[in-house]
Amino acid sequence: MSEKNITMPVNIDEQAEANQTRRSFLRKSVAVAGGAVIAATAAGRAAAEPLAIPPTNKILGRGVVSIPYGLPSKFEAHVVRRNVEWLTPDTIASISFTPLQDLEGIITPSGLHFERHHGGAVDIDPSTHRLVIHGLVEKPMIFTIEDLKRFPQKSGFWFLECPANGAMEWNGVQMDSVQFTHGMVSCTEWVGVSLLDLMKAVGVKKEATWFFGEGADGAALQRSVPLPGAKDQFGKPISDFDANTIYKDIIVAYAQNGEALRPENGYPIRLIVPGCEANMSVKWLRRIKFVDKPLVTYQETRHYTDGMKDGRFRQYTLVNETNSVVTFPCPDKKMSGKGSYEIRGLAWSGRGKVKAVDVSVDGGKTWKEAKLVDPVFSKCFTRFTMPWEWDGKEALVMSRAMDETGYVQPTLRQLIDERGTSGIYHKNSIQTWKVQANGEVHNVQLRSL
Amino acid sequence: MSNSEVSKSALVKSVLAAALFAVSSLSFAAGTDGIGKPISEKDIAPWNISVHFDGDGLPPGKGSVGDGEKIYQAKCAMCHGEFGEGAKGYPKMLGETVEHIRELAQKGEDTVGARGINSLWGHAPTLYDYIRRAMPFFAPQSLSNDEAYATTCYVLYIAEIVKDDKLVCDASVLKATKMPSQDNYYTDPRPDVKNVRCMNDCSKGAPEVTGMAVVGVSGDTSRNEAKPANH
Repeated sequence: MSEKNITMPVNIDEQAEANQTRRSFLRKSVAVAGGAVIAATAAGRAAAEPLAIPPTNKILGRGVVSIPYGLPSKFEAHVVRRNVEWLTPDTIASISFTPLQDLEGIITPSGLHFERHHGGAVDIDPSTHRLVIHGLVEKPMIFTIEDLKRFPQKSGFWFLECPANGAMEWNGVQMDSVQFTHGMVSCTEWVGVSLLDLMKAVGVKKEATWFFGEGADGAALQRSVPLPGAKDQFGKPISDFDANTIYKDIIVAYAQNGEALRPENGYPIRLIVPGCEANMSVKWLRRIKFVDKPLVTYQETRHYTDGMKDGRFRQYTLVNETNSVVTFPCPDKKMSGKGSYEIRGLAWSGRGKVKAVDVSVDGGKTWKEAKLVDPVFSKCFTRFTMPWEWDGKEALVMSRAMDETGYVQPTLRQLIDERGTSGIYHKNSIQTWKVQANGEVHNVQLRSL
Repeated sequence: MSNSEVSKSALVKSVLAAALFAVSSLSFAAGTDGIGKPISEKDIAPWNISVHFDGDGLPPGKGSVGDGEKIYQAKCAMCHGEFGEGAKGYPKMLGETVEHIRELAQKGEDTVGARGINSLWGHAPTLYDYIRRAMPFFAPQSLSNDEAYATTCYVLYIAEIVKDDKLVCDASVLKATKMPSQDNYYTDPRPDVKNVRCMNDCSKGAPEVTGMAVVGVSGDTSRNEAKPANH
């Protein structure tokens, strides 16, 4: 078998000019290369079989438009959204998870975007759907989808994350899969109309300090979003960042990754509130109302409030703070023998751009800065990579992201010390994967972290 | 050509130029003219069903604890329990008191399963809002305003927030009903933790694994896993 590997240098040798010194040098190299191959073989790495002609070389394939809307290869059938049956009593008010382990780059294909419905996904005819904007405005208006498309377009690459992402891990590890530990997040190019343009069109009055969106689904889900000057129901001001920056990015989206929104993601229109917990990006949007106080509704008291260790609850925890996870290796993608690999993962921050991601393979004793892969956008997935020579020994692999505000992704210990374990939401702590000598990868928690 | 004709012609030219300039500049300005239609608040009313925490938006109408019991037992009890204790994994109406939730939390115990309307719900008017817009789960927006008042009234009663089983709920009663957890909220103070970007010698000793996930806990049959032992 080693002859095959040696063939190429020998050929080069024959083509080289007849220089004795050079020949002798090359002969030595061949000997070294051959020795290396034999050593590798001895270590259990078999050489490739002789090539056979693939059967697809000997047939004609399908004609164009035999599949008018293209689908993934049948060999990719395992790349699907999944749910966890015991999490919710039904699949109507429930959640599914994006297979982060199978994603490349920073875009989540529309059909793999995680789903969170409060009353199930509905199919809405865009020709009858309307968006009403009213409340503290000069002229209440109603818009068709065609109307909305006449406004200047605004688009962006933004992640959406359910604040419950990671919620099953507060009291210890449970989910042996990155799809289930981190898959309540996806990233998309969203296209639509700027909220600022819609505000101009209806003439929002200066007394308006909040607005809320409302869906046309069975949950008629509504969430309050702060505007400059927003105060909570006790009269306390909402933080500067939340009140003065969140609203500027908001769009009413009608397109996702180059085509209309998918029904599960709010077709024909939805709000996109970049950087914030995804329930604020109301799907199947039918109404926006400008008001001078929050609703303090179901989704702002019973849900989406964070139980703290003193038994009180935080509300309007709107921004998803900096988070990251290694997507290779991970429990879903095991190692296949020692040697060269690239550790890969995703990082994101609701406050802006990811500035740096550090990777550790020794359980957090030492860290090395990873490469951020272009493009790096604000409030968007950022892909990071790190070359890794795996020695075949046990390793504890983790990533730690920092955003442009200087905020460093915390440890679970830091979060629990501050908040306790009943918060459900906003668990953005550093994730550890244990790589075993046999190549298996498992979800673990460490005492120090 | 007379002087007046010359000046007239100059005027025409300058007006034309001004008009052309005005047309071309206007035509590339981002505007909103002619997009959408005005609509009156009266015509929006069927959609304008949101009720604020202070009762703003509550409609006319009323309903009693007794009327609410009939609706609840027919349309709600199968999921929320005959006595509000929850069923089939759906939320309980009567949970632990706010005081007990605080005790549990301060002892480091999990409070997620202990929460009911009496433990975690800001205001009675938004309970009305939620029942009217989203309940019963299988038939949202099917209750009349009066039925929604009655159901709200009964839920407040079984959650032990109101004691009077003869109570009739309307806008003024809901506005006056203080929820036990009303003041148990505070607005987001994050960032609340500060990690340091340490690169070397960041932890003492060997890292200690305190927990490893059990293969199969997801319960996803397509992943060929076993079911979790319990949850």
